[in-house]
Amino acid sequence: MSELSPIVADWFKGKGWHARPHQLAVLDAERAGNSVLLIAPTGAGKTLAGFLPSIEDLIATPHEGLHTLYISPLKALAVDVARNLSDPIAEMGLKIKVETRTGDTPASRRQRQRFDPPHILMTTPEQIALLLSHPDSARLFGSLKRIVLDELHALVTSKRGDLLSLGVARLARLAPQVQITALSATVAQPQTLREWIAMPVAPRPAVLLNAPGGATPELSILRSDDPMPWAGHSAAYAVPDLYRIIRDHGTTLLFVNTRSQAEMLFQNLWAINEDNLPIALHHGSLSVEQRRKVESAMVSGRLSAVVCTSTLDLGIDWGDVDLVVQIGAPKGASRMLQRIGRANHRLDEPSKALFVPANRFEVLECEAALEAVAMGAQDSETPLPGGLDVLAQHVLGLACSAPLDPDETFAEITSAWPYRELTREKFDKVLDFVSTGGYALRAYERFAKLRKTPEGTLRIANPQIAQQYRLNVGTIVEEPMLKVRLVRARGIKKGATTGPIGRGGRMLGEIEEYFIDQLVRGDTFMFGGEIVAFEGVVETEAYVSRAFSDNPKIPSYMGGKFPLSTYLADGVRRQLADPESWRVLPDQVREWLEIQRAVSVLPGRDSLLVETFPRGGKYYMVCYPFEGRLAHQTLGMLLTRRLERERAQPLGFVASDYSLAIWCASDIGGLIRTGRLSLDQLFDEDMLGDDLEAWLDESALMKRTFRNCAIIAGLIERRHPGKEKSGRQMTMSSDIIYDVLYQHEPDHILIEATRRDAARGLLDIERLGHALRRIRRHIQHKPLDRISPLAVPVMLDIGKEPVFGEAREAVLREAADELIAEAMHIDKRAATR
Amino acid sequence: MTSALPRDEAEVTPLIGFAGAQFVPLVSGALYWPELDALLVADLHLEKHSSFARTGQLLPPYDTGMTLRRLERDLMLTRAERVFALGDSFHRDEGTSTLLPGDRAHLQSLTDRAEWTWLSGNHDPAPHTLGGACCAELGVAGCHLTHQPRRGIPGLIAGHLHPAARVAMNGKSSRRACFVWDDELMILPAYGASTGSLNVLSPAFHGLIDRTRMQVMLLGRGRVYPVGASRLVNG
Repeated sequence: MSELSPIVADWFKGKGWHARPHQLAVLDAERAGNSVLLIAPTGAGKTLAGFLPSIEDLIATPHEGLHTLYISPLKALAVDVARNLSDPIAEMGLKIKVETRTGDTPASRRQRQRFDPPHILMTTPEQIALLLSHPDSARLFGSLKRIVLDELHALVTSKRGDLLSLGVARLARLAPQVQITALSATVAQPQTLREWIAMPVAPRPAVLLNAPGGATPELSILRSDDPMPWAGHSAAYAVPDLYRIIRDHGTTLLFVNTRSQAEMLFQNLWAINEDNLPIALHHGSLSVEQRRKVESAMVSGRLSAVVCTSTLDLGIDWGDVDLVVQIGAPKGASRMLQRIGRANHRLDEPSKALFVPANRFEVLECEAALEAVAMGAQDSETPLPGGLDVLAQHVLGLACSAPLDPDETFAEITSAWPYRELTREKFDKVLDFVSTGGYALRAYERFAKLRKTPEGTLRIANPQIAQQYRLNVGTIVEEPMLKVRLVRARGIKKGATTGPIGRGGRMLGEIEEYFIDQLVRGDTFMFGGEIVAFEGVVETEAYVSRAFSDNPKIPSYMGGKFPLSTYLADGVRRQLADPESWRVLPDQVREWLEIQRAVSVLPGRDSLLVETFPRGGKYYMVCYPFEGRLAHQTLGMLLTRRLERERAQPLGFVASDYSLAIWCASDIGGLIRTGRLSLDQLFDEDMLGDDLEAWLDESALMKRTFRNCAIIAGLIERRHPGKEKSGRQMTMSSDIIYDVLYQHEPDHILIEATRRDAARGLLDIERLGHALRRIRRHIQHKPLDRISPLAVPVMLDIGKEPVFGEAREAVLREAADELIAEAMHIDKRAATR
Repeated sequence: MTSALPRDEAEVTPLIGFAGAQFVPLVSGALYWPELDALLVADLHLEKHSSFARTGQLLPPYDTGMTLRRLERDLMLTRAERVFALGDSFHRDEGTSTLLPGDRAHLQSLTDRAEWTWLSGNHDPAPHTLGGACCAELGVAGCHLTHQPRRGIPGLIAGHLHPAARVAMNGKSSRRACFVWDDELMILPAYGASTGSLNVLSPAFHGLIDRTRMQVMLLGRGRVYPVGASRLVNG
């Protein structure tokens, strides 16, 4: 093992510390010319492991210009790491310049950094893209020796990861000597991540190093004496227990899955907060200032508890967190491990975590998660092939920096892991898109953004294109948001639509436009920790007033973001199928399953249970695939299309993470029993062919997805110099553009990108396909005369779903019918007079 | 004259009585005037997408073709002999020269088929020579046709505002382009394939449409829907 330089060795000695073996192993690998993927849990001294090679190299060899780039998914993390690194460097008395560069860095400093860079620059993937688009990028990065990628696991599964991979590929070409050190939490497939960093620096190798894990976390599931809810996600039953637990611990982080759950829990805790414990709320809809305030209070240890969403999954070290509580379904084992890692950033002490299931199914899911975490099982997502929209953005950025040689650029891009299988044909289509829009109808030759030079390279047609590129850079497209302003109520009178809304109240935060779109004046919902009533939309603001109601009418404004992982789903199916394993379950849950076994059957591990029963004049079909809400929603859409054709007269459906319920006007159970409807055919995988296509044609989901792709690819601008377009206008026009494009060029590269994103993100088609194959010819029909215990949770969700497609048309029809009925009524009266 | 419509179509299509005449609202957003055998369309915004190319946004150049095909269908359906385009027919005056050859020929065949009158709009104030007559406003058969709606002229039919309405029912809502009118003024929905819309309850309509006498007809899928004003909401 190689030696530390005396300066560094003395520094360790002065602190009374030793360099950890994995820190030295990284140093060794780097000295041997390798790149490194270091898998390490939180608290393992990752930062120092990442930067020790830079410090050693800078001590050994004086360096002019930029030496190390550190890239993190979070601005705050870049700033925090810079601080954590600057202290040791100062203590060692070294003249190593460390700076950060984020969207918040003053323009003057960013300007200066381009010609007078520090030795070590801490930044984000978007800033790298920006720096690479400047003509001086070759000079700036030519001297680069190391790239440190932090929290790589979190980046690689998103489009930001695609953008980063392309940026790294370009950096490796500008600086052929560069070595990469990537830091990651434990993941399911570490070799994929290793390849991800190895490809751009090939043929030099990248090695995989594992830091020893910390102490095994102490996990438990909350056992409450209160009745366990059948459905819902609020865990309101557990609030008194949670309050006691918060009081008994120093600092508690309470993770929930959605913002509305966060709102609900926060309010419920404060309702019984007799001791006035400092309990705070943190989620993505709150204003930035509000979030920063909570974070700094947290760092200085002034809070007893923070109720938060995934906004706190990553990020800076919070110092002492004594307990992590997961409320509601854990969804995935790897996610849980990371959340649990937020407690106690000290390796030798076990983290303490508590699972709080919000309903009966979640008890099973929590048990599965508990087992998975204890076994160290990983179910993190794997990176996917790169998005073509991101590629289009990157290609334009490259052309902004220097004329682009298509052959060389293609070689460079395919050295980025997500694009390793990109075909030349597709690459040329992307070039064509960037240049003239890529339309079969060549309408824009004279407006081409890229022009061929006599040497056969492509350069941007004018400098404004570079300017526009820089304004549109990045892959994070915000949902169109409306500001939420608290105003005085004008009184909800029936039918009244006139009268001004009181203006000028306090700003509460921001909310997704699509949520507001489904509201009608007077609807109540939770926001910023209180129940508010919707008053109306004025320009880009949603006006709300204080509501005097205990129950918000609209239950949630964001479904569970993360679907149940395949791994945990399998765990839940296994438990259900094995009554022996029920011993650990609370009595109420066990009783629920016992009755299900008695009156119906239990879903098998590799089969599909389909129950049918009549209820309230309708006929229900409930099935239990356990494949997550998204896949179930897609299945519901497709099954209703098929049932329509089979004349079963489907009326609606509702999907949960575990099951799917469809209701019909015809006796669907009878149709199946008498053989007029074949379940094998109904659930045949071929529904993912034509039926899926037909449904996508009219799906609003495609339009929402298209908007993101179009913005990332640069077809629609995020903003123009000097004039901001509100999200509201942009959504409108992107819908129209989608319609026009889809009708005329369904093979256009952006439609392809949209389709791919929708298939993965919103429809979960791959998973549905797997499930349909798994259950093929293993479908068990159980006709019942009434609802089964297992069907209760999903049936309770009916009526809480937002409306799409056909249902919107139905609103018009009903309103028109009402008008007709009104007219008829008047006529009748007139006739009798 | 409604017999020109296919029978089933005529049965489900409600009529709009305005300024003493009967009109047939079409789901495309056109207004058919049987008495004159005329088709009224507002805000075609032809060449809207291509007009963004100058600023570096290369939007799909198919919107003009879509709008023209829509017009062709309506002309076939109604066999109208006249077309009144109520302004903003082109997104910019330059649009008359940027038409792609195929679209230009298509438009030509339409202007050959019926007698066209192009009213000028704020987007396309200049007259052009694409077939038919160009003028600013027009009085015809007791109605007054123009681009920008205004108060004080009974029987005024205009466009410009791209009206739409959101209908709320049983806690759900739906938003569609619509015809909106009162005793004195009617505003047509925007006809172009690339046009957005504005809620009839928004301030732009204040002082133009009398709320107490407002009527709307929404464009649905395959039919139009008359909806009571009390069902309309903002947004």
